[in-house]
Amino acid sequence: MMARSHIRPGFRLVFWREVGWLRRRPFLLGLTTIVPLAQMAFLAAIFSAGLATRLPIGVLDLDGSNLSRTIIRMVDATPDSAVAVRVGDLAEGRGMILSGKIHGLLMLPLNLQRDVFAGRRPEVVFFYNTQTLTTGNLTVRGVNAALPTAAAGIRLSLRTAQGQPLEIAQADLQPIPVQTHALFNPTLNYVYFLLTALIPSILQVIMVTTAAYSVGLDVETRYRLRILGELGGGIWPAMAGKILPYTVLFMLVLGLSDTLLIVGFELPLHGRSWLLMIAGLLFVLSCQFLGAWLALVLKPIVSAVSIGTLLTAPAFGFMGIGFPRLGMNAFAYGYGALLPGTWYLTARIDQTVRGTPLDLSWKPLLVLLAFTVALAGLVAWKLESIRSARRSSGQAAPRLGEALP
Amino acid sequence: MSGLLDVFRHEFRRIFTVKSAFSVMVLGAAFYAFFYPQPYLNEALRNVPIAVVDRDGTQSSRDFARRVDATPDVAITEELPDLASAEREVYARRVDGILVIPQYFERELLHGRPSPVALYADASYFLIYQRVAGAVAAVARTVGAEIETARLIAIGVDPAIAVVAPDPMPLTAVPLFNPEGGYATYVLPAAFVLILQQTLLMGVGLLSTLPSADPGEGDSRRRRPPPVAIVAGKLLAYLALEAVILPAYLIVLPYLYGLPRLGGILPILIFAVPFVLSVAGLGFVVAGIFRRPVRVQLILAAAGLPLFMVAGFSWPAEAIPPVIRLVSYLVPSTSAIDGFVKLSQLGAPLSAVNSELLTLCALALFYNLIALWQTARQTKPADPVISESALPTS
Repeated sequence: MMARSHIRPGFRLVFWREVGWLRRRPFLLGLTTIVPLAQMAFLAAIFSAGLATRLPIGVLDLDGSNLSRTIIRMVDATPDSAVAVRVGDLAEGRGMILSGKIHGLLMLPLNLQRDVFAGRRPEVVFFYNTQTLTTGNLTVRGVNAALPTAAAGIRLSLRTAQGQPLEIAQADLQPIPVQTHALFNPTLNYVYFLLTALIPSILQVIMVTTAAYSVGLDVETRYRLRILGELGGGIWPAMAGKILPYTVLFMLVLGLSDTLLIVGFELPLHGRSWLLMIAGLLFVLSCQFLGAWLALVLKPIVSAVSIGTLLTAPAFGFMGIGFPRLGMNAFAYGYGALLPGTWYLTARIDQTVRGTPLDLSWKPLLVLLAFTVALAGLVAWKLESIRSARRSSGQAAPRLGEALP
Repeated sequence: MSGLLDVFRHEFRRIFTVKSAFSVMVLGAAFYAFFYPQPYLNEALRNVPIAVVDRDGTQSSRDFARRVDATPDVAITEELPDLASAEREVYARRVDGILVIPQYFERELLHGRPSPVALYADASYFLIYQRVAGAVAAVARTVGAEIETARLIAIGVDPAIAVVAPDPMPLTAVPLFNPEGGYATYVLPAAFVLILQQTLLMGVGLLSTLPSADPGEGDSRRRRPPPVAIVAGKLLAYLALEAVILPAYLIVLPYLYGLPRLGGILPILIFAVPFVLSVAGLGFVVAGIFRRPVRVQLILAAAGLPLFMVAGFSWPAEAIPPVIRLVSYLVPSTSAIDGFVKLSQLGAPLSAVNSELLTLCALALFYNLIALWQTARQTKPADPVISESALPTS
């Protein structure tokens, strides 16, 4: 009881108690720092080599003419596809696609050259594996780029044979050329698109589940929760002291990963870095309050962590990076809107690659702020109702021996 | 032998009576079956909104814009006077692309000169970019071919040849296995395998760390079965559970969601045996390392996404550094996703998945031998692991 007069209850007391806890629980500390950093490094390593080029495809050349050889050479010369094997028949090619050795099979029909020059429009067929969408699209892009180049020569000779000057004939080949500009990601870099979104998604799972876990440790026994309240001298300072050490850690992890992306992978930062930081902070806080609230309403800890995992582990699909939200059904669209990560990724894309003007940047931040305030309110409300329930039941003072960890 | 059956019965009952294990292995699996596919069920993006900036304002330019709008992939939702105002709409996320038709578009065409159009497509979402760019390019090609034919006839080419001339050897690209290029068809067969792994892994991890993991524990009259019987009996129990859940996931669910499946059922079931055994073995090992249920949960919770990325599915295996790829083979999902997708989606014979099958068998053996060693150590008296588990959880 002597200690009372020396240790003033308040935010700082709870904060340093939590820091002490973290130091004595290497698992929890590792989970909030080393685990996300390791996963980040792992993902960065996966993407470090850049997109696959020269994906292997097979060729079935039934013609064996000058033209067919030219086509094969041109397909091989595109950056996307490489002619890895020549197969003898379709069955052999199919087998190689099934075993994954090649991603596509280009079939050049018999008498290709003869029929082309006779104007019979023979078909060149490219079979490709779309079960794996990325590789499938890449190989077809390579073939798609090479074939018109080969055809252009033929089309040109048709015109010059009619006595058209060469430069006019060339201009004639493509009456409506499309100048396509890839806005915000001109090189179609997967790091700026996918890796930068994956890291917050993983962090979201970790933040919600560890918050549920660390708060759950206090909720597990009534005495601990009560002591937490007394140490803090009120619900709000106690909550802040409990949550803030993790906020600092998560912000450090997020900052470190963004530094890696910006410095190491040259992720552009066209927007405002302070907006990105505010969005990050609100994202961290809303995830933490969500976890804390789960711990308060669901017992035991295992259940709170389970539900936290259930809500956040499949969240990546709902946040609309791979498959955009505008194509989703109403349920998926609505659930996506309830995830803090959806709005953080929106703000993140706005402030990094897009450089969205300030006046159009606020919506995702305001939604995140609303999440944070609402979830903090829910947590405080639940704590208040626990306290009033305890008062009305008139419980005996806790025995210190049981209460201290 | 009766020891093994005891363990099997005991463990099988625990799957349904231990609340947290049941909620992961059965309820969780059922929940994900409904929940996970939701974002992808529409399969493809349709009518992506774009803006058009028509500086020409002629019959030809309006016709071109109308034909772009008529494609299923994009829809022209706004007509704006200049690029700046259209850019703002992109920033506001009201449109995802801008088609600019320059002044004199029609005049250039009539003069027989190339008449370019410009497309600005939002590449911060790749699927959107692909859709918009693909649709506009296709329309430009079709309209271009019509113009070219007309011009050739004008310079005196035989009409029959002029029709053929724009495209003397058309390329027919035949998408195999996923003819519509649908997103659900692409992502779900792989994701289902990962969900199976994660729920089983977590379930085994929980069952092995929660109390009364072995029959006769705390009962001094009954002898503890030998370690081999314990591990084998538990594996049997998980196999029995997965004999229901795995076919439901890999055969019934794809059917319900209308995903094409070319492969037979038997190869899938044969391939499933080493998969289940290796995942369960890994579950034992994870439980042995982390020892407390909540730790097992926390460690596994965030592992799903990186495991999915490294499986060589959404990110091509050819682009993954070999060292990372090699390490990733330690987790069953890497080989399992590859193998199951080949068997069920591509209709490959078992012989095409030999290497995946062997990898899974090796993993099953490896992890279960470790589990056996862990179990054998626990049977010795005064074991530190047991005494520690008597401490309050923290």
